[in-house]
Amino acid sequence: MSKARIGVYFCTRGNGPNPSLDYKALATYAAALPLVVEVKHLGTSPTLDPVALAKELTAKQVTTVVIAAPSPGYFKTAFTRAMALAGGDPEAIRLASFREHGGGFESPTERAKAVLACAVMDVPFGLAAVPAPSPVHPDTLVVGGGIAGIQAALEIADAGKKVYLVERTPTIGGHMAMFDKTFPTLDCAACILTPKMVAVDQHENIELMTWSEVEEVTGRPGAFKVKIRKKARYVDLDACVACNDCSAICPVSTDSEFDSSISQRKAIYIPFPQAIPNAFVVDAQHCTYLQSGGTKCGACVKKCSKDAIHFEDKDEIVEVEVGNIILATGYEVFDATRMERYGYGKLPNVITALEFERLTNASGPTGGTIVMKSKQFNKRTKQEEWVFDPDGPRPKSVAIIHCVGSRDRNYNPYCSRVCCMYSLKFAHLVKEKLQDAKCYEFYIDMRAYGKGYEEFFERIKDEGIHVVRGVSARVKEVDGQLYLRGEDILEDKVVELPVDMVLLAVGLEPDKSACDISKMLGVPRDDGGWFHESDYNTDPTGTDRGGIFVAGVCQGPKDIPDTVAQASAAAASVLKTILRKQGSESNSDLTLATIENRARQLAKN
Amino acid sequence: MTVQADPRLVAELEIYGAQDVLKCYHCGNCTAVCPFSKAPFIFPRKSMRYLQMGLREKLKSNLEPWLCYYCGECSEQCPREAEPGETMMSMRRWLTAQYDFTGISNLLYRSWKMELLGIIVLAILTGLGFYMFGTATGDIHKYDGPGAFLPSAVIHAFDWTMATILSTFLLINCGRMWWFTMGRDPEHRATPAMYARRAGLLLLHFFTQKRYSECDRKGPWRLHIVLMLSYVSMLVLIMFFLPMMQAGPAVNWWAHAFGYAATAGLLITVAMALWGRVQKSATHYKHSHETDWIFLIMLFYVALTGILQHACHRLGSPYAANILYLAHLMGVVPMLVLEVPFSKWAHMCYRPLAMYFSHVQVDAMAAKESAAAETLPA
Repeated sequence: MSKARIGVYFCTRGNGPNPSLDYKALATYAAALPLVVEVKHLGTSPTLDPVALAKELTAKQVTTVVIAAPSPGYFKTAFTRAMALAGGDPEAIRLASFREHGGGFESPTERAKAVLACAVMDVPFGLAAVPAPSPVHPDTLVVGGGIAGIQAALEIADAGKKVYLVERTPTIGGHMAMFDKTFPTLDCAACILTPKMVAVDQHENIELMTWSEVEEVTGRPGAFKVKIRKKARYVDLDACVACNDCSAICPVSTDSEFDSSISQRKAIYIPFPQAIPNAFVVDAQHCTYLQSGGTKCGACVKKCSKDAIHFEDKDEIVEVEVGNIILATGYEVFDATRMERYGYGKLPNVITALEFERLTNASGPTGGTIVMKSKQFNKRTKQEEWVFDPDGPRPKSVAIIHCVGSRDRNYNPYCSRVCCMYSLKFAHLVKEKLQDAKCYEFYIDMRAYGKGYEEFFERIKDEGIHVVRGVSARVKEVDGQLYLRGEDILEDKVVELPVDMVLLAVGLEPDKSACDISKMLGVPRDDGGWFHESDYNTDPTGTDRGGIFVAGVCQGPKDIPDTVAQASAAAASVLKTILRKQGSESNSDLTLATIENRARQLAKN
Repeated sequence: MTVQADPRLVAELEIYGAQDVLKCYHCGNCTAVCPFSKAPFIFPRKSMRYLQMGLREKLKSNLEPWLCYYCGECSEQCPREAEPGETMMSMRRWLTAQYDFTGISNLLYRSWKMELLGIIVLAILTGLGFYMFGTATGDIHKYDGPGAFLPSAVIHAFDWTMATILSTFLLINCGRMWWFTMGRDPEHRATPAMYARRAGLLLLHFFTQKRYSECDRKGPWRLHIVLMLSYVSMLVLIMFFLPMMQAGPAVNWWAHAFGYAATAGLLITVAMALWGRVQKSATHYKHSHETDWIFLIMLFYVALTGILQHACHRLGSPYAANILYLAHLMGVVPMLVLEVPFSKWAHMCYRPLAMYFSHVQVDAMAAKESAAAETLPA
């Protein structure tokens, strides 16, 4: 059989060529590869005419075609036809897919060259680009103590391996601890989560470090050295019995993070009664004693019968060695003040989803009674303030606006995935607690995609909730009454609806810490800021850095069941490396020469 | 009635300036943002739908594009960046072409080269005609009085002839607009009494653009009303007082004061609009169709040459005044012939008519409903 004559054809699609790819350099590189007789750039979104292509193939006597593009599959049909017309082998079409194998690298052109070389040599990229094996330290670091971090830590610890769980806030539990109910089963979120939190605390294989942050990671896959800053808590974890005496006497109040700022906490506080570790913490920024350099207040120290408060505490740096790291840094919610038209921040009874979660939660500031904000005189600040008073007026009508900050090119173009379902859950909770209240859902598309979700949607409609297709454009206040203007698309009318309370279904955004960690560890992020998984379909927990895995919302918006599933999967990936005593180096560290050499060897055999 | 869907409709509207129509996912935000969107005229989302579905006839009988004044809020807040405001604008261009029975409008909107060619041909014809007439009957060094190069009486007669012809075209097109939006649809059939009762709206909206003033943003309306009043003043002066305007060289403050004010109004507002479009300083200036540029440049040119020929005459240079007068006419004639019945100027009729028709439509539908209610058994 005569030698193949290979033609390399570059095509790009959609929004033009990837600006970070140097197509000129790629073309030069391709021309120097063995057996390549023709290199051509066919342009952006070319309309390929098989007849014309066939003529070209015949003229250049091309017997094998390599289509090189971010998504080359799109152009394959035209080349198959052209090859058949030219009398060649229609099967001799190879794809060099830059997007599939090259996403998010620092030097995408080098990676694209490697992809191209493999296609020309007819070696599957996955076989040539195999990171070298590396020995693995048996301990694991989990960053983030939400449901994802908790689940992953428990899975690994239960298998008998040591886990360091690092959490930035004073307690583990994350956002899930704030929720009232889970959808679609309407289980009590705390009833599911708190036993897991306690299990983490009591587990012999888990070393829990709350109020701590990862400061520096050095070393290599399988043998990371991690510096963790344990922030001064000023409260002895072992001595504190969470009796609340200190908090009761503390004169300083500030917004409670756990209650989404709809209630107040003291400067020495416990985020919520079931917090793990079950101990108080001092908020140094608000504490009079610490701010005054120890000259004022100090009431809590005198009050504490266990001598648990130590204002002389300093931050501590702990160094640990681990083999694998699981990132579970979670999310924060979209800042609704950015969408001025909904009046959030100005109109007291326009509130966000997390605020409503706390409002309707039995452990929240109103004991789970859904009330409107009412004006009260604050004796301390001597100002009128809008607060949720458990005896305040109940709303007679509640509107829920979907897609706030999501699916919107002015904010976040992606779907946050959880908002439709939690909004339906809210509607149910409103109807359950306030039977006579009217409840409206303003949605664009109802994304009830999971098991039991569509059924839940049907159930909500049967409960008498008005589900309106059409997103509301603005909320305004006239004489103390909120009005919401929107188009009811199915009823073909514009509605100007007076309501007592508006809930904004805010979307999810990556936690701010994700940016720092991404830089520290070299884990690339997607356009939305989410961690880039190594393969969307087949390796959703791995990353292109060896020994680093992702779990939960930090990889992309998802609900609790999906988060838990991914966390368990990440734990399994980690355990695999520990049990085999062998992990792998970073895929992204593979050089062009390494991949080329390996491909050449494989091609020979 | 069968409904036909035309999959090429979006592509057709794109020639008229529509953008990103297919991006729309029908959230209804644009409609809810719009202060004018009230039943039964809910827009712009529904018009986007008609367009996406290719409902040509539905779009043709749609008054809604004329009820929109393009404040741009819908486009700014569109989560899909689908530019509903610009789509409404392109629908107005498209509707202008649909109302026009000659097909000239269609030609002008589809190809700016055709429009430019039309302007040039008309300008040359006008220039040659008046030059030959002027040199045959008068003296190019004489601006007014006996033996003038372009005597005001002749120009006056010419103006009236042209006005009559152009108005006829425009009236026929208005008649077609009535047929598409009112006449042919039994739902919208109204009695003469209904038309009579609302007739006042026509004048009101023509002279005040009251609805435009109700937009949340007042700036564009202010500019537009100054431009429109300046233009109308100039039109009245020319159509009725041309001999007085052209007499001189003394300044006749009775007529000229209005003339100066109107010219200043035109030059300033048109310059502002042009500058806005260059800078893309507002949403409604962001996308400019070729016809927008041609229209504004022509208007500026005409106002400028008008005042310059006047100034030259007053400053005692009849030769320069005559040349500039000729140049002025070479701008005025193509502008009016092409723009009034066939292009952007036509909106001075279509907009007030749409306001008027929309009220009559509501009355007609209400009457039908109450009649239907009466016939129902109790």
